[in-house]
Amino acid sequence: MDINTSIRKFGFQDLFNRKDLLWLIIWIAGLGLLWIWNALFLNAPAFARLQTAFLNSLLTGMMVVVFSLVLGWITGVSLHLLERSELKTGFAILSFVTDMLRSIPQIIAVLIGYVILTMLLYKGIIQSSFIQLIWIAGTISIAVFLEVADTIKQRIDYYRTLDFVDAMLCCGIKIRRIINIEILWKNSKSHLLHKLIAIFGVSIFLQCSIDFIISVGLSTDVSLINFPMTLGNLLANVDSKQDILALSNLFTDLGYLPEIFKRHLQGLSVASCIVFSLLCIYMIANGFVRRKKLI
Amino acid sequence: MEERKYNIRILSENRELVAIDEFRVVKSAINVLLGESGIGKSLISLAIAGLIDPDELDVHIDGRPYRSYLNSKEAIEIRRNGFFVFQEPSSHLNPLKTLRMQLREGSLEEAPGEESILRKLWQNPKLAEYENILDVYPKPYRPSGGEKQRILAAMAFKKMASTAGSSKGSVYFFDEPTGNLDNKLRNEFLDLLVENFGESRPTILLITHDYSMISRFIGKYPAIGKNIYYRELMLEHGRLRLRDFQPREYLLWLEKRVAAKPPAEKKEMILRLQPEIKVFGRTLHISRDPAGNTPAPLVIRKGTVTYLKAPSGTGKTTIVKIMMGLIKSEKMSMELGDTVYSEETSRNAWAGRVWGKQMTMVFQHADESLNLNSKVKDVFSGLPVVGSMSKEEIADAISELFEEAPTREFLNKKVRFLSGGQKQRLNLLRSLILHTDIIILDEPLNGLDFLSVAKVITMIETKLQSGIGIMVISHNEEVFDTMVGPENIYYLNSSSLD
Repeated sequence: MDINTSIRKFGFQDLFNRKDLLWLIIWIAGLGLLWIWNALFLNAPAFARLQTAFLNSLLTGMMVVVFSLVLGWITGVSLHLLERSELKTGFAILSFVTDMLRSIPQIIAVLIGYVILTMLLYKGIIQSSFIQLIWIAGTISIAVFLEVADTIKQRIDYYRTLDFVDAMLCCGIKIRRIINIEILWKNSKSHLLHKLIAIFGVSIFLQCSIDFIISVGLSTDVSLINFPMTLGNLLANVDSKQDILALSNLFTDLGYLPEIFKRHLQGLSVASCIVFSLLCIYMIANGFVRRKKLI
Repeated sequence: MEERKYNIRILSENRELVAIDEFRVVKSAINVLLGESGIGKSLISLAIAGLIDPDELDVHIDGRPYRSYLNSKEAIEIRRNGFFVFQEPSSHLNPLKTLRMQLREGSLEEAPGEESILRKLWQNPKLAEYENILDVYPKPYRPSGGEKQRILAAMAFKKMASTAGSSKGSVYFFDEPTGNLDNKLRNEFLDLLVENFGESRPTILLITHDYSMISRFIGKYPAIGKNIYYRELMLEHGRLRLRDFQPREYLLWLEKRVAAKPPAEKKEMILRLQPEIKVFGRTLHISRDPAGNTPAPLVIRKGTVTYLKAPSGTGKTTIVKIMMGLIKSEKMSMELGDTVYSEETSRNAWAGRVWGKQMTMVFQHADESLNLNSKVKDVFSGLPVVGSMSKEEIADAISELFEEAPTREFLNKKVRFLSGGQKQRLNLLRSLILHTDIIILDEPLNGLDFLSVAKVITMIETKLQSGIGIMVISHNEEVFDTMVGPENIYYLNSSSLD
């Protein structure tokens, strides 16, 4: 192959080398196919519920990403600055709070958030579905943002050992600029993006897990009917459960297979949407790590 | 004169790293390859030596794919009879074998002259001094970079000695072989190089950006001059070109500088550092003589260059980092203006009063002191003067150290894609545009080509005229001795606290 050809070569081979991009395309294409199939065969009310659930879950996941980034950024930078400052008490207090949060299992933290949300719902303090989604996202963020804070602190600590930070300080550049712009923005975007992709996946997983726990009857006060429609919520719905149970018919009657894709679409669509999305997000995050050589 | 011309192209993931139409190597001669660092000198040499992995990089030599070159008689001969001394000695040495084992490995086992070579490279010490090192397994931090570099040179010289009389066709590559050595050891290395070359006449490719080697070759070995070819690798309109470098160019410039050296004049003092500093369990002594017999405080004066000299590894960089408040010492005292700074002074005091205001410092390695993911134009963002400087003024400042006015493309380029010399110039410029009372320069000429060296020296002189004080640490004594009088030269010695 001559040099000019090798410079110009781009296409499928390149796409296969960018596994993150490839899996993003697969994810969007898969969801698109599912949408078309449902538009053709799923009844209208269920289709509307499915679309709302998907959009709400997506929106919650995105809000979790934003909240976690903001909380993690502030916490990571504060921990670093307090650790190096003469305010040792400030560092001790913040470390204690973060360690406390770390000691609570994520799923328990989110569950507590749902219980409080129910109380607020009953007292009529929160009524709008959008505010409820923000509450859920906030709760999940509190459970997961420390992962972002840890990444941020690790990145800052690593760069503080290199000469370029001292060289900038000697030139009179302010430490807040060095940390926020030079270290985190210019040198850590890939690491943070990878972490945020993972957090997006974790938020979808946590939502579904909690919704499912609630659906099996955790309490008479906390019920899925009160909460906004999400993928987990829809999966825990009786109709969806029956759809999934219908898969067992295949053990005795393989000829029932075409019916599964037409008569039991709601449950199958929600389940595949969750599993397929989690798989794709995992593969995107992995591909990204490899492409950016983050390990 | 038999000359081999190479046409070399090296690509990585569709990006062209090196492309040169005519890279010339004179056979049975010493080819001194000059030029700023990071321009491609090492990569070209590795390609010729057949040491690039064809699966890693897309290499073409004389239009042929690299695998075909690797299988050619020429490349096989180079690999069999030649030797490559790597720039970074740690990457060359096998950590699982002692230095002694590696000195006697393969064809080096029977090679003569090991002891005399080592004695010369260690400047005739007692045998035990290097004998102890030979039984060490090399690690990144042990032995020192200078010691590892000398071991590698010894291996190359042993190989040269073993092929004396039959070395036609063999090629020896020395990639920045004296980067970790002080001037005395560098001269010792050059003497051995010339001595061994005289006996076996192999082809030698000596890569360096230390132009003061020229004075040594011409001053000490005029007879061998016709066998030494000086070439400079340079970027011209984005293309690599190899030009013949006339040593006279450099020597005349030096002569002019010596003639124009300003007379000694006692100017106003800005900084005084007491001569005894304790740090990391060692005591560092500043004195007026190399042996350390006349301790004296280090003084920086307005409009004057203060030069701190010491062998590699003594602690010169540590001293200036202590002066800048970056390293906490166990004992030090420094007067700067009306304020006294000591080991008790908090880092905040330096941050609030010194950094970027009274003092600034240019770090030794541009690669490590610049943010490689920054764009060129952003290197100046956040500096205390930038608010008062227009974009045009910044562009003017850049053009002072670069060949031409910076284009938009250049300003938007990421620092990591600049050559080593360009990075070093940016590194210098970032501090030189500040309005501080003192600028500390740690190896400011590292990685620069001759033109850039001249420009940097001119810029330093302009800063001096504006009344600031400059402190220099540099291996390029030949250059800085032309601008510093003996009254402003200090020496650093180190002793263990116990």
